[in-house]
Amino acid sequence: MSQFVENPAHLSKSRLKSDLVAHSVELPPVKSKKEVYVGLHLQHIGQKNAVDFSSDEEDQVQDVSDKEEDTEMPDPSGLTDDDLKAALLEHGVKAGPIVASTRALYEKKLRKLLQSNGHGCLNGVEKGVLYSDSEEEEENGEEEDRELGSEGEKEETVKQSDQAQQGSSQVELCFQNGGFVYPQCFLLSSRLFPSGSQSVMPDGESSMSSQAFSITHMVEEMESRRSLSTSSDTERALNGSNVQKHWSRSNRLDMPIVDTMKNQSLYYTPKASSYEWKMKLTQEPVKDTVKNMFPNTDATTTGIYATRRRPIKGAAGRPVQYAYPDTPVSPTTLEKREVERRLVPIQIQILVFLIVTCLLYLIYVCVEDNSFGPSVALLDRFYQGSDSEEGLLLQAETQDVPAPSRQE
Amino acid sequence: MSSTSQKHRDFVAEPMGEKPVMALAGIGEVYGKRLEEKGFDKAYVVLGQFLVLKKDEELFRDWLKDTCGANVKQQGDCYGCLKEWCDAFL
Repeated sequence: MSQFVENPAHLSKSRLKSDLVAHSVELPPVKSKKEVYVGLHLQHIGQKNAVDFSSDEEDQVQDVSDKEEDTEMPDPSGLTDDDLKAALLEHGVKAGPIVASTRALYEKKLRKLLQSNGHGCLNGVEKGVLYSDSEEEEENGEEEDRELGSEGEKEETVKQSDQAQQGSSQVELCFQNGGFVYPQCFLLSSRLFPSGSQSVMPDGESSMSSQAFSITHMVEEMESRRSLSTSSDTERALNGSNVQKHWSRSNRLDMPIVDTMKNQSLYYTPKASSYEWKMKLTQEPVKDTVKNMFPNTDATTTGIYATRRRPIKGAAGRPVQYAYPDTPVSPTTLEKREVERRLVPIQIQILVFLIVTCLLYLIYVCVEDNSFGPSVALLDRFYQGSDSEEGLLLQAETQDVPAPSRQE
Repeated sequence: MSSTSQKHRDFVAEPMGEKPVMALAGIGEVYGKRLEEKGFDKAYVVLGQFLVLKKDEELFRDWLKDTCGANVKQQGDCYGCLKEWCDAFL
């Protein structure tokens, strides 16, 4: 547009080079000075423009040249390494060395940038038309695929929620802006507010965990749209919100919260509100699965199920709803209880000890028996207990008696 | 750094030397084989690619995905591993 009217001397050297390439002009040696490029540029391109101006098909040719200059070398794979680098630089990307292994990546990046630039012009208009509904069934499906790999800035995602058509472009725009942090942000945006869209939704009911989060938005949506939308819509929206990949669900918050139907702009901080709502709200359309999760909740008029959390013991200001199962116990009583617990074992220990000593004594006796002779007396002595001494003596006497008797 | 794996910690603990590409965090048998087929048979070659991409996360992840088809988690693991290694030794 304005570029071909520009004085070539104002263009950068790389720009001149790329223009020359675009006009299939042979490039001078790499180390040439800029003036050489400018001269060549004027020579070939200046002339061409003159021709363009004078021709009857001026507009068409101008459009073509405009297009060439607008898209700035539309085919990244046809560019030289330097040109590719220059092109990336123009888009604000400081590229590293473009070698064999990196070239493909940079080409891909340039393509993305070119596409996003092409769509980026629409953004200004789009934002003004934020809350209008668009029924783009097919595009929703496409968006899903694209969005699966894209990330989104939250504000933009919120705004995009209703724009299925433009959403795709913004998706790509956002994709370049960020990294891979929030891949599925846009999924909900496109899915939640298509009025009457029949886009193919994955079976959302399957994943309970994802529903926990998606339910939060659904609640918001439900409440706001209850009077306006049919249940089928919300069901579809809910189904759509339950995407296969679950781990980005916390970021989907923003989408549905912008209620496009009511033209309200609700900007919730992503995770705070999600967690808030998650704890308190469930949704009617999702009732079946939710009920499984929360079987004990009662139905309420608003359809919101709030599970009361057990009050924390000793929490300030919280009334005690029911008696605590445990009675307050002082440390001394605890000690006493411990001691009591030990008492019984102690008795058992003593018993065991006695048994063990008896056994050991028996064994000792046996050993002595083998070495010293008759053990009966000793065993008897053992069994007689405390009066063993007297018994021993008696035994000894009895033993002695037969012994001498034998001897005699 | 509670989420780093043992493999990550082992790799980052010492200069990589001649370690095979499968020593990288996030690169197992399958991905390692694919990388080797492409010519990236040692960890230092992947390091080379990482450095040529100026340690840019997005580009490196894209490259990994294109070269061996690693998923997002493995891309992240490998990137983190190399980045930390560079911080420590480069």
